[in-house]
Order: sequence, then C-alpha cells, then structure tokens
Amino acid sequence: MTGNTNTINRELVEAIKKTNALACLECGKCTGVCPVSRFSRHYSPRRMLTTAVRKHFDVLFQDYDLWSCLTCLRCEAVCPSDIKYSELTQIIRTGAKTFGFNGKCSHAGALELLQQIMTTSELKQNRLEWVTNDLEISTTGGDVLYFVGCAPYFDVFFSDLEIHILDAALSSIKLLNMLGITPVLLTDERCCGHDLLWNGDDNNFKMLAKHNQALIKQTGAKTILFSCAECMSAFKNLYPKYGFPIKAEFKHMSQFLAEKVASGAIELNEIDGKFTFQDPCRLGRHLGIYSEPRTLLQTNGADTFQEMQQNSQGSLCCGVSAWMNCDVTSKKIQTERLRQAKATGAETLAVACPKCQIHLVCTMKDQQVNANYGLKIQDIASITLERIASK
Amino acid sequence: MKPESRGIQTAESSDLLSAFFTDRKVSLKFGRDRENTYLIGPIQPSPCTWACPAGVNVKAYVSLIAAGRFQAALDVVRERNPLPGICGRICTHPCESYCNRNQIDDPVAIRELKRFVADYELAHPPVKNKPIPRSRNERVAIIGSGPAGLTAANDLVRKGYGVTVFEALPEPGGMLVAGIPAFRLPRDIIEAEIDFIRNLGVEIKTNTRISGKQALGKLLKKGFQAVLIAVGAHKGKKLNIPGEEEYTGIIDCVDFLNQVNFGNPPRVGEKVIVIGGGNSALDSARTALRLESKEVYIVYRRSRREMPADEAEIAEAVREGIKIHYLAAPKQILGRNGRVTGLECLKVKLGEPDASGRRRPVPIKGSEFIVEADTIISAISQKPDLSFLGSEELETTSRGTLQVDEETLATSRPGIFAAGDATTGPRTVIEAIAAGHVAAGAIDRYLNHEPLTEAAKPIKPELEIRVDLKKERKIPRAKAPMVPISHRQNNFREVELGFTEAAAVAEAKRCLRCGPCSECFICVPECPKEVTLMSLPGDREEALFRLPPEVRPEKHNHAPWKGVFTGQGKRYSFNLNPVLPFVKETLCRGCGDCVAVCDYSALQLFPTQNELSFARIDENRCRGCGTCVAVCSTSALTPRYFDQRWLTNKLSAIQPEKTNVVVFTCSWNGSQIDGPALSDMESKNTNVVLLRLMCSGQIEPAFVLRAFDQGADRVLITGCREDRCHYEFGAKQATGTFEKIRQLLFLMGMDSERIRFERLTDKDPVKFIELVKRFTEETGRNENRPKEKERVAL
Repeated sequence: MTGNTNTINRELVEAIKKTNALACLECGKCTGVCPVSRFSRHYSPRRMLTTAVRKHFDVLFQDYDLWSCLTCLRCEAVCPSDIKYSELTQIIRTGAKTFGFNGKCSHAGALELLQQIMTTSELKQNRLEWVTNDLEISTTGGDVLYFVGCAPYFDVFFSDLEIHILDAALSSIKLLNMLGITPVLLTDERCCGHDLLWNGDDNNFKMLAKHNQALIKQTGAKTILFSCAECMSAFKNLYPKYGFPIKAEFKHMSQFLAEKVASGAIELNEIDGKFTFQDPCRLGRHLGIYSEPRTLLQTNGADTFQEMQQNSQGSLCCGVSAWMNCDVTSKKIQTERLRQAKATGAETLAVACPKCQIHLVCTMKDQQVNANYGLKIQDIASITLERIASK
Repeated sequence: MKPESRGIQTAESSDLLSAFFTDRKVSLKFGRDRENTYLIGPIQPSPCTWACPAGVNVKAYVSLIAAGRFQAALDVVRERNPLPGICGRICTHPCESYCNRNQIDDPVAIRELKRFVADYELAHPPVKNKPIPRSRNERVAIIGSGPAGLTAANDLVRKGYGVTVFEALPEPGGMLVAGIPAFRLPRDIIEAEIDFIRNLGVEIKTNTRISGKQALGKLLKKGFQAVLIAVGAHKGKKLNIPGEEEYTGIIDCVDFLNQVNFGNPPRVGEKVIVIGGGNSALDSARTALRLESKEVYIVYRRSRREMPADEAEIAEAVREGIKIHYLAAPKQILGRNGRVTGLECLKVKLGEPDASGRRRPVPIKGSEFIVEADTIISAISQKPDLSFLGSEELETTSRGTLQVDEETLATSRPGIFAAGDATTGPRTVIEAIAAGHVAAGAIDRYLNHEPLTEAAKPIKPELEIRVDLKKERKIPRAKAPMVPISHRQNNFREVELGFTEAAAVAEAKRCLRCGPCSECFICVPECPKEVTLMSLPGDREEALFRLPPEVRPEKHNHAPWKGVFTGQGKRYSFNLNPVLPFVKETLCRGCGDCVAVCDYSALQLFPTQNELSFARIDENRCRGCGTCVAVCSTSALTPRYFDQRWLTNKLSAIQPEKTNVVVFTCSWNGSQIDGPALSDMESKNTNVVLLRLMCSGQIEPAFVLRAFDQGADRVLITGCREDRCHYEFGAKQATGTFEKIRQLLFLMGMDSERIRFERLTDKDPVKFIELVKRFTEETGRNENRPKEKERVAL
C-alpha cells in the first residue's frame, strides 16, 4: 500500500466493505471468544471493529492493540455476520506501516529483519547445511517438494531454548526416504512472507512470493509438503490471493503421513505414555485441517490420545503471532494452554507448527512454569518417526 | 558538535578536568559504585555560541578563562576565528546581546575577554606555530586579505591546500588596515594575527592588484584551481546632493581613512562634517579630531536609536567632543571659490518603518539650517569596487555586489567563489569571518569534486537553557580602563586598554554557563578511562560524558534523573541521564532470563497475583552495562539511549555509494578515539560508522542484522577479553551472541569475512585504530565483490 493519506483512507474504507465489517451487529461474540481479550484487560475486537467502521483509522494506527491480534480466526468462527476481522486487521496494519507505526517486535525485531533481508536478490544461502549425508534429497527437480521454511534460522536463533526446530524437517525427510521418496529441497528457498504480510508489509511479501513461485515452477513439483502450518497457509491461501498462484497440491506432513498410514505404506507402533495435540491456528481454522493429525496420532493408540479442553475449531492459539507484541497476555495464553495440556494427563504435547513449539517451549523454560508442567513438546513428524523407529 | 572540528592541540593532562569541573561539585543521588551508570548531558547550546555568526564556542573559552587556562581558551577561539585579537577589539559582539546576564544586569564582557587572551599570548609568546604540511596539490588564489579572505586562507591551508592571497594595498588586512583607525585597532595586533596565519603557510602578496582583461581566467591558468574573491566593499557611495561634484574638500570616508592609515593624512581644516551614522562615520569623525580639526560634527538623518554604530563607540565619540546632529538630512553642499564652506541640512522627522525596519525620515519643510565646514566626509555606505574584473562575466546584483549562491558562495562561474562584503555590501568583521568559513568549506568540496550544496549548513540549534535567572546575584560588569580624553589628542594610541589577568578571570566567572558542559572538549584528546565521550543521536551530534570517579555524591536528591552542581555559591540542576534500562511491566513475561544473566543481582523477579511475575531493576545495584537488554526477548527491558532510534540514526550515516564498515565497540577498551583519528580510517571509497556501546554484552543479533539491512558491507564488533570485562559478565554474553550472529549470517550466505569479533586486551586507542584500519583495508580489496544490497526487482 503506497500513496498519501487519502489513498490509504480510501483503501481502508474499501477494506471495510470487502470484509463485511459494516454488517457488525456489535453482539460481542468476538470479544467473548478472543484469547487475547480473555487475558488482556484492554483488548477487544468489537471495540477495534467499531472504531474501524467509524473510520477513526488514526486512532487504530497508534493503538498498541492493533498488533495484539493473533489473526487466529477464533472470532471469525463465531461471528454471525461473517466478518473477516483478521483480514481487516491486516489491511489496517498495512496502513499503519506506511505511516511508520509498528507493533512491539520481539527480539528487538531481529526476526522481522531476517525476513526483510530475505528479499535481497544476491543472497547465496547455505540453508541446506543441516541435511545429513544419510538423507536422500534432490536440489534440482522432482514430484515431491519439501518446503523447509525458516527452520534452519530458528534452530540457530532459539538454540538458547534447547529445542531443535530442524528435528521436524530431519524426521520428515527420513520418513519420506523410508517411503522411497526423494524430496526436492530448494537451495535458494526464501521465507514464505507469511509474517511480513500479517504485519502489514505487503511489498516485501510480494517480493518473496514471486521469488518462491518462480523457484517452485522450475522444479516441476506436483506435491508440496510442509512441516510449518504458516508456510502452508501462505502458499495455499495468500499466494493466490496476491496473484502468485502455484499449481501444485499442498499437504501438511500430518496429512501426508496420515494418508500413508491409512494406505498401509507405513505402520506405527503404539505411543509410550499419554499425549495430546495442539491445533495450530493456521492449520486448523485457516486451512480447515483437524482430523488428519488426530488420525495419525490415534493410529494404534486411540486410548492414549486425549483432547484438550479447547480443541479443533475452538482451539487456543500459542499466544504470539508474527513475532509481535509478545507480552504478559501472551504468557497468560501460553500458560493456560500448558495447563490445559497438563490437565489431560498427557506427557507429550504434539505440535504441527514450529511457532507453537517455540512459543510453548519458551514459556515452559520459565522457572516457575517449568515446575508446574513437565511436558515434552514435539513435532508430529518426529513423533511419527519415533514410532516407526522403535519397531 | 563533532570533535574533529575542534583541533585542540594543547591540553595539559594534569588538570584535564579543571575546565569542566573548575569550581563546581557535581552532586548526585548515588548508590554504591554507580559512577558509570550516569552520563552528563546531552549538552545544550548556550545563547552566546548560538548567536556568533562564525560559530565560536564562546561558552568554552569563557569557562577556560575562568579556569585560568588562557592559552587553551585562545585555542578554542582560533578554531573558528583566526583573528581573535582583532575581533577582541572591534567585533560587534552579537554574543553579548544574547547573553542571559542581560536579564539580570549586564552581559559578560565577552569581547574584552577574547581580547585579553589574544593579548596574553602576545605578552607570553608561545611556541611559534609551525607551517601546516602541504598535503594537496591544488592551489587556491584569494583576492583580498580582509577578514573573509584571511579566514578562508586559514581554513584552506589547514586542509593542506596551497594558498596565495593577493592584496592590492601595501599592507594585508583589507578594511581592517585601511578602514579602521589605529586608536581602535593597533597595527601591531593586525600584523601579529596575520603573521600567525602566514606562519601556517599562507603566502600573502601585497601591492599586487589583480586586474586587467581575463584576470580571473589568467589566475586559473596560472595553476590555481579555485579563486575566492574577497575584495570587500571599498567604494564609497555618492551623496547625490547638489554641490557634490562642484567643490573640493569633499572626501569619502574610505579614502579618508585609507590615507590617514597609510601615513598620508589629507588636510581637513578646523571644521569637519561627517555624514552618516555607522562605525565608519564615527571612526572618520574621531580620526579627524586627532588630526588638525577643532570641531567635528556628525550629521545623521535618524535618531540615536536607529544609529547602526556601536553604542559604546557613540558614547566615546561624544565624550571626545564630537557633536552629532540627529534627524538632519543633507540638502546641498555650499562652497566658495571651488572650495567647500558648509552643508545645508534639513530637519526631518521619522515616519513609517522602511524595508530595513528602521523608520523612514520625512523632511520638514522650511527647516533648513547650515553647518559650516572645511571638509565634508561622506560615510553613508560602501559598495564593492568590482572594476578590476574588467570583462569577466560574473553576475552582479542590483546593489552592485557579486551574485553568489547563499549556501555555497559560488559565483556564476565554476571555481570562482566570493565572500564577505563583496557579496553582501558593508557588514561586520565577524560576518566576514563566517563567510570565509563557508567559502573555504565550499572550495574544499569543489576541489574534492563533491556537491557544493552540502558545503556548509550553519548549525543553529534550538535554544533551550535551563538556568534559574531569578536566583542569580547581580555582579557588576568589569570595565576595561580607557586612555583619558586629554591624552588622545594628536595621536593614534589605542584608547581602550585591556583587562588585567585578575579582572579577566573575575569577569569570566560572571558567566552563567548556560548548560552544564562548556563543550570545550578539552577532555577528549587525553581522556582517562573513567571519562568517556559518548556520542549520541539527535538533530545534531550530541555528546555525553561518563562521570569521573572524582565526582562523589554530596547529598541525596529526590528526583533521580537530576544532577546538581554547586559553585560560587550557585546551584544549578542539569539532566543527569541514567543509562540503566527500565522494565515495561506490560511486556515483561517474567521469564527470568535477565535475572540469570546479571551477576550484580540488579534484577529480581517480583510475583504478581496468579502465578506470573515480572522483573524489576534495583537501581542501586545496576551498573548500566545493558547485557540484560540484549537477552530480553520481548523487549520489555528498554534501554536508555541505545535503543532502536539510536541504532537507526547512527546507521543513517551509511553511504550507499561507498563501502561501509560498521564498528560496534565497547566503550572500555580502545574506544577513546576522537574524530580525526576516525576520519583517518576512512578512505575515498570507505565509510566507517562507529557505534559506541557501554559493553559488548549489549550486542543483539538485531543490531548486526539492521546494519546489514541498512547497507553495511562489513561489521566489526570489538569487546574486552572475558576476564577483562569491566562488567565481568558482559563479554561472556557477547561471545554467545556473536556465535549466534555468525551462524545466522552463514545461513544467509554472507561470508565469514564480513563479520568479525575482536577482543582487545588493553585500552590502547592506537591498536584499536590499527585494527579498524586493517579491517577496512581488507574491505577495500573486496570491492569488486557484488554488493548484496539490491533488492529483488518486482
């Protein structure tokens, strides 16, 4: 979004119409279910929406809470008027960005900077250094492409948390090799741009989308696999919306593995101990994938799987979106989620998105919290691999 | 306020801080061992410095005089004003008009103080200044050796250029010699000041008039790459009244003063009339009185209030017996036998203000009166004499001055610049000096093939003075002794005698020192470890000083961010800026990372209701290293100064067309380098951006990523060895962070040569500079490597 105040105002008014915001009944259901509102005294989607409808954009631009929305679609699931609140928030953020406003970036903005630097053309990344020799991958072309995402960067950046985000990718590739598939990995893969777009930086998002679209076209991949729910939602929902469609089938690793299990290509052992599943907002409400991860986890272990108090469509988010406004409210959401997980009696919390893993592990690292919940938080692909490995 | 503009050469390390803390004791709310958690500053401009057209750091030299450090004070003056002794006598001192003491009693006698230090040097000859070695091949010709020309010559020769000044008159000095009588400005003073400039390596050719066809073109052909025209305004304007051309005995003040000053006084007779109200008119009148005249009249068409001459000069003239006819306009000149006999004047009254803001005189009909005279001196105004230019096609204005670009002083012809009265019409010496600086800057840029427009932007920061004037005591202004009236006849001895040493120090102590730091920067060159200059962002460069350990708490102050200094029975408060971070409680997740990292236990977790808690800083324990800020993942720990704004502002110094090296340095080891040393590191193609931190522990991945994002080519981080870290754990933290940064950059494919982490063992600025130089030179070799700045084109 570029241009002067008038153009931006016009675009925002247009967005209000497009997102159906004028149909708001002010019923307040959104605020009732919003995870942020539940723990933050001052955040309310209803208030944000009414302010937007009254065109008080300058108020919204300066509001810290504009960047608090997790865009988890929890409110949209209950809205009687079918208002696209998340999309509206994203467009208002784009306007705010053009005026130089920004939310509170965690890690001093390092991750946002990483994403921005990803738009540099001459970057010669060493992003496949983690691929061990025993893994078979192709860097040229093939039917199945595994989109790694920012995992190598996260792995370095969050090394202090003693979690290995790359475990999910390593496990996924091992599983694929077991199935006789040599996945394509991109040497010059860039960030999917998901976080940039949701933070209102649509220009950089478009650059990244264009780059990734061209790269994938070169490989001729027919199926693209993801371990990251955000990457998948970006490819499936956002790229076509902004004019960069990719002709391929998109599958989350949990979907892919569930299919293979169903077809009998892989057999799974029983899980040791109890476990539960954290629905990533992008995988669940954004992409509508609820059953596959559950099928995968429940194969040969239906009785050890326990749903959390809030699950599936009503699932509670991991507390931070797009590295913005990580604060007390986020921690309260995360602690609540951990409490729910613990309440199921589970020892393992399966996740299907690296962000969920990072955020929940980070909260677990807190000394006080750690004492209360000793959960093992693990990616669903890693769990699956362990179940095969122990055969 | 860049230290490099202040080439202080003489600083005695023994009492390095004496100017800074002469007679003040800084008292603060201190806990234990907190000296390095506070910074003094940022400095604020004082009104005197703000008012000076040439930008002389008035507050600094007045403070230094108060401290008895006269030579250092003179050095401060010379940085911006190469003619201290001259300006100490005849400057129109706008600084004094802005002095905050005006609101209490009388302004500090700044001009006399400057004169005092200049005279002090003459009386106590210092080591003779040495010629500046020539480092540039280019030569600059300066036409005219007045204040503008001399200032430009001084600036340019210091930059290493060859400078030749051409002077048509037999002695250099321009209007200083030709137009100002010796009783106000003794010739030996002018000679001494010009000799000082000459000794730097400026060649001055007197009796050399540049004229003739294509005079400027010939200069350019003769091996001069640039020419500065600073010929001043020496041509008197005509009175344009009847009788002016008819009779002899009418002389222009410039010619008159010129003849007197060069020992060839004209016969003026007993009665003299001077027409005009400026300083030249008064000088002419007082000169005439020292010749053979018995009665001298000044005819001025407005009242005393509108008179442009110096108030003190008018008073002195009246004391000497000169009579002034105010509100009288000359109507015609009367004469007999071809010789002047008198002047017919017309009474006027003042009407509406005109374009200059002064009220326009309106003649009163029938009010004619006659003043008898043997000689009439016209001193109404001057314009430049540009006849020497001949056929050179330089654009001129309607006022007969040279047309120049206001910012760069460039004329319509490339390589030709003009400054001073030649471009403005008659103005003051200090304005000519200011113009000389601007011209020198522009010529330097011209010869470096840089755009001229950036040449000189006068720094006029916002005035913000925090001095409580109500609490100030009245102290009478010191008066310099004068030669009695009876001793002034028939001689040109200097009338005003300077201050004695004691009087000067006492007068300098009247200075209110608006703002705590006098900005003399005398501490910079020989800064001991404990007092470090930190540069910070702002509209202009600001400086902060880490407090020295000698400064001890005196008493508690309830406002924690206010420091108080007392001295001479006065008490001033100033901003004392803690560098310790603060915690934003809404952002703090209570993760305890900061608690774990701080070895001083300055951070503690405090529980809230429910199971959450947040961190709090114990100000008495915190030493301000900032390591905790680096580990805080939610940015709840907010640093003071070293925040995003600081980072962005600092990194804005990156120049896209050059190879940029960004240096993050801990301020404990090797960071005590000043401006000139830094610019040494830079070459034509490289640009070094230095960011000083309290400790290398402050480094976060985002710092380095932002530097690369903004266009840095290479990043150097320097810190202390882990066992030498001033804060004991900061360097250890930095090691971990650096490893993380290195890995991230490796993933991005930026080769490891582009980032380096160096540990310095001793505080050795030389080694530090060498390190940066080496790192920079390596960059130079890699210049052909494709730059990773271009974004994907959409």
